[in-house]
Amino acid sequence: MNMTKRLLLALAVALLAPAARAEIPAEQDGCLGCHGSDPSMSMDLPGGEKLPLHVDQASFAKSVHGDMLRCTDCHTDKGDYPHESKPFKTRRDVTVAYYEQCKKCHFSNYTKTLDGVHFQLAEKGNRQAALCVDCHGSHAIGRPGEPRTRVSATCSNCHKKVFDVYSGSVHGKAVTQGNADVPVCTDCHRAHDVADPRAGALSLRTAEICGRCHTDPKLMKRYGLSTNVVETYLADFHGMAASLQKGKKDKGDRLAAGCTDCHGVHDIQRPNDPRSSVMQGNLVKTCGKCHEGASADFPKAWMSHYEPSLKKSPLVWSVQVFYYVLIPFILISLVLQIALHLWRVVVNR
Amino acid sequence: MSEAAVRSEAGFLVRFSAAQRVEHFITMIDFVGLVATGLPQKFYTTGWARWMIGAMGGIDSVRWVHRFFGIVLIVAVLWHAAGALKAILSRRVGFSMAVNKRDFTDAVKTLRYYLGLEDHPAAFDRYDYKQKWEYWSLMIGNVIMILSGLTLMYPAVVARIGPGEIIPAAKVAHSNEGLMAFLVITIWHIFNAHLHPDVFPFDASIFTGKISRERMEHEHPLELARVEGREPDGHGHGHGHGHG
Repeated sequence: MNMTKRLLLALAVALLAPAARAEIPAEQDGCLGCHGSDPSMSMDLPGGEKLPLHVDQASFAKSVHGDMLRCTDCHTDKGDYPHESKPFKTRRDVTVAYYEQCKKCHFSNYTKTLDGVHFQLAEKGNRQAALCVDCHGSHAIGRPGEPRTRVSATCSNCHKKVFDVYSGSVHGKAVTQGNADVPVCTDCHRAHDVADPRAGALSLRTAEICGRCHTDPKLMKRYGLSTNVVETYLADFHGMAASLQKGKKDKGDRLAAGCTDCHGVHDIQRPNDPRSSVMQGNLVKTCGKCHEGASADFPKAWMSHYEPSLKKSPLVWSVQVFYYVLIPFILISLVLQIALHLWRVVVNR
Repeated sequence: MSEAAVRSEAGFLVRFSAAQRVEHFITMIDFVGLVATGLPQKFYTTGWARWMIGAMGGIDSVRWVHRFFGIVLIVAVLWHAAGALKAILSRRVGFSMAVNKRDFTDAVKTLRYYLGLEDHPAAFDRYDYKQKWEYWSLMIGNVIMILSGLTLMYPAVVARIGPGEIIPAAKVAHSNEGLMAFLVITIWHIFNAHLHPDVFPFDASIFTGKISRERMEHEHPLELARVEGREPDGHGHGHGHGHG
């Protein structure tokens, strides 16, 4: 063999090698011989549903698992042919029986779901509660949150009503326009350990949740929004009470207002939008939710996230300045007089 | 609060009546209660405040306890004001806390004495200018605290009567006035009633009601002379070293 032939062979190997790697591990089980050919392949379940049995090889190959998992890595009981028969009545039975396969590799996210509201519901026997594959899909799993709009779309499969409200909000509208700055469902609710919002625990944490974006100077500058909103909230009654009540879960307690209690939850609008609950004309009604008998002037009790200033709230500002001058003046005078007095006592001795 | 001291057993005079002593005692306990439940609310982000609020059963119960002490303060102030009014109206006893021109000259004289420009401090009557200052500061302070406290307790009612901006202004006033009262009491009252060289370690007269003739001669010579029906001494002072 001469040099030229050797070189050609090396080149051929180098060129063919990537093509050989493109063959996905799933093919090595030979499952796709049956499950990869006929798109209408299915099985009738006793419940009357059809269980599709076709796997689209191309979409699985593109998925995050395409180049690393074999079929039997998840379908652990399907190693032998003919497959062992299982007593599934419905498609949901199949999903419930197989979803725990994910935890072998994704253990930390699986344990997080144990704290989530979906798992709590599933544990109580609600079979519709979301399992891994309900959100992530099964064979065509993509990277989560790519694109971000997909997240809220996924939740909308079950939470349609809330999704529609959200889509009309200032955040939701921006998402549909492809804006990646605004929150999607999981940014506030989290993904795996979704808290039950009904107990009020989430509303007490809104300063922290909303504050993640609304105190970020770079982000807020893009929209001309103040980053002072959380600080001014915490400086007032609501913020103090809410942050001290945070650990509490008893429903009987009167809980202090969090961000969402005034601004709305899924239906948040700009404060100058006529639909906004914090738009000037709607404030009396919004305050009245907690403050019985709130009158037309009552909303002025709240300084709308402004620091007291001569221009915005002259009375509050004046009182503040008065004490900033008076307290040091009084204290210095008293201490000075005590010091002089003691000095005189010492001198006289 | 208005009558003069009367002779008691040998060497002692009665300075405060039983009612006055009870009033002081209630005010003292109430003040501690208000400070203990109020300051942690003002400084709620600090560790000690969080610990105190937790120890008192959480923010909701701290607020209720604070309101309870606040109502006690309102009753105490009204009670005191009624007593003062009665004293002013009766001709027999005057209102000895009234500020007069002499208090200002006393203050100047005493300060000059501290600076070494005067041989003796001023001679005082029943209440010296420092006691009057503390009394009126706390009286005005109490009125501010009560009005701003009620505003914060009933914001919706207040906003129906006046502008809504009163409510955040009341919060600023309540919070600062409260802090100032706490600081004035810890610095000034504790110095005068405990650390003062003449009374150290403890001026008990507001609890026992009694004061020694020696101290009267020293601290309130004008009142003593009046009680004993004689003219005060030339400089109204019995001792070489001073006290104001």
